[in-house]
Amino acid sequence: MTQVQLKNLSKVFSGAPAVDAIDLDVACGEFLVLLGPSGCGKTTSLRMVCGLEQPTSGSIWFNGRDVTTLPVQKRKVGLVSQRFGLFPHMTVEQNVAFGLSVRGLSADEQMRQVGEMLEIVRLSAFAKRFPAQLSGGQMQRVAIARTLVTKPEVLLLDEPMASLDTLLRTEMRQFIRDLHDEYGMTTLLVTHDQIEAMDLADRIAVMFDGKIAHLAAPDEIYQRPANEQTARFMGHSNIFECTPISEGHIESPYGQLMLGVGSSLGAKQPSKAMLRFESIQIEECREAPQENAFSGTITRAEFLGAMMRYTLQVGEGSLTVEEASTIKRKTGDAVTVTLPPEQIWLLQ
Amino acid sequence: MKTNRTVSPALMQNLRDVAEVMPLLVVLLGLFGGAVVLGILQSFGYAPWFGINEFPTTRYFERLWLSSDFWASLGLTLYYGFAATLIGLVISIPLSIALSKKFRVSRTFAALIRLPLMVPYTVGIALALVMLGNGGLLSRISAGLGLIDDPAQFVQILKTHWGCGIIAVYVWKQVPFMTLTLSAVLARKGEDTVEAAMVLGATSRQIFWRVTLPQIMPGIVSASLICFAFNIGAFEAPLILGGGYPDTLPVLAWRYFQDANYAFQLQGMAVVVSLALVSGIFLAAYLLGYRRYERARGRV
Repeated sequence: MTQVQLKNLSKVFSGAPAVDAIDLDVACGEFLVLLGPSGCGKTTSLRMVCGLEQPTSGSIWFNGRDVTTLPVQKRKVGLVSQRFGLFPHMTVEQNVAFGLSVRGLSADEQMRQVGEMLEIVRLSAFAKRFPAQLSGGQMQRVAIARTLVTKPEVLLLDEPMASLDTLLRTEMRQFIRDLHDEYGMTTLLVTHDQIEAMDLADRIAVMFDGKIAHLAAPDEIYQRPANEQTARFMGHSNIFECTPISEGHIESPYGQLMLGVGSSLGAKQPSKAMLRFESIQIEECREAPQENAFSGTITRAEFLGAMMRYTLQVGEGSLTVEEASTIKRKTGDAVTVTLPPEQIWLLQ
Repeated sequence: MKTNRTVSPALMQNLRDVAEVMPLLVVLLGLFGGAVVLGILQSFGYAPWFGINEFPTTRYFERLWLSSDFWASLGLTLYYGFAATLIGLVISIPLSIALSKKFRVSRTFAALIRLPLMVPYTVGIALALVMLGNGGLLSRISAGLGLIDDPAQFVQILKTHWGCGIIAVYVWKQVPFMTLTLSAVLARKGEDTVEAAMVLGATSRQIFWRVTLPQIMPGIVSASLICFAFNIGAFEAPLILGGGYPDTLPVLAWRYFQDANYAFQLQGMAVVVSLALVSGIFLAAYLLGYRRYERARGRV
């Protein structure tokens, strides 16, 4: 297993920095996801780790060895890209055998290893087919098999599920995670899909403008994002102006809010706070007032399948709430919303 | 009894398609097809406007095919055609790969490659005379450098049956065409497979032979078919830069057409039809072979 370190790594294209002095430690056998919007530098970072792109400055280390200038062929990495890069003139079998044949393995040994790998990716029946005769999911499994058969020390996945439909994507996520757990190789995956990142990653590095904005476990990034940009990127949330009034209390457009222990002000001087849509409790209008409970009126109701999304007017502000669609409320209904103190997160 | 007859939508669509391409068909069939039919008729002895009507006779073909000169001319024609196409390909493939990469002077490089496309063929022939002839630039430079005593001693490149000058002009003119055709195929193919091969550990040589070359094969086939057909049909370069008897088939036909005796025009047509036949056989064989190659790779 390989530890991957990026030290002060930068890449500049035509004077514009694509990756701006990032530092990153990926532990042996860790599944790390580089997450960010298009153009944030995540693919460029991955290509530099792979060796397909040379850094403008900084260095890349594998197990304490500087590999910055090491040719891609010698890095012992595997790459599965968004378009898979399958050789269209070769059968599935020949595609998977390619990495072994260029290493000079005997034909018998190649066939044995290819057969085993096709079993693992459940494509034995498709061995003689050409890529054009496969579905998107099958092509992806061929690309993964072709990579894994060479036993890479670091597996790099560049948006490998971007061209798959939603159902297949869910299935392939599970498949990739299972393979990672079985082989235990250090894995870096690039994606702009938050759900994919949270489902797969041990840790997520959220990137904006060539920099890592937040590096942490998925639940921490989702519930306690480092800044407003990360909070907005990681999913739907109510972000509102606030003013600290005392330890553990803030003034908000909805009224005075008590904070949970984890949201203690400490040295922070926040001006904004965040609360996820699904964290807010909504119920019929209630007489007896409670801490962090406010009366509001539904101004919009949207059906999203499993969930209902309500936009509410609460005090001087607007709140968006998501609730299971088994309960249906309608526009104009008076309701009480409770903002759980422990779910309110102050943003820097 | 009354029956309702309706025209099927598919038939209507077919009729509409034919009507849409009719203007083009009329021009093609009238000009190109008409000329082909007339040429074939002449080669079989039909030319009443010259006072000759022996149709149908195979005498012009017999006279041609039974002469050893014809086979010598055919061999020479095919040699120039194959050699120039092959050399052109060998030069164009690396050039097209280079053209698909970005480097410091890549735009200048692309412009230089395109340059011969804009220069007429006859200018290329004139340049070959100025550069490669015994009184030409290369011979004078060689004499100036003391490599030879006199420009006249310079190795004879033009006016030989090796056809170095002819092949040089063909190659000079067709390399840009082949390069641009292949670079278009490379651009469509993208870098994904090359990068995948690199990550899998393949060397540059392995990538070229096992990944790039098979993928640009359709472009190679198209470009070489067009250039080969042109090379065996062109007559200016062999006429001016060739070694004289035996001539290539297009030059032989041209000489018949230029003869004061109109009756030789029919013999010329037999040469042209024979050339078209040979060219067609070679191209069909090439396409069949390529189709088998593609089928083996699941592309057909």
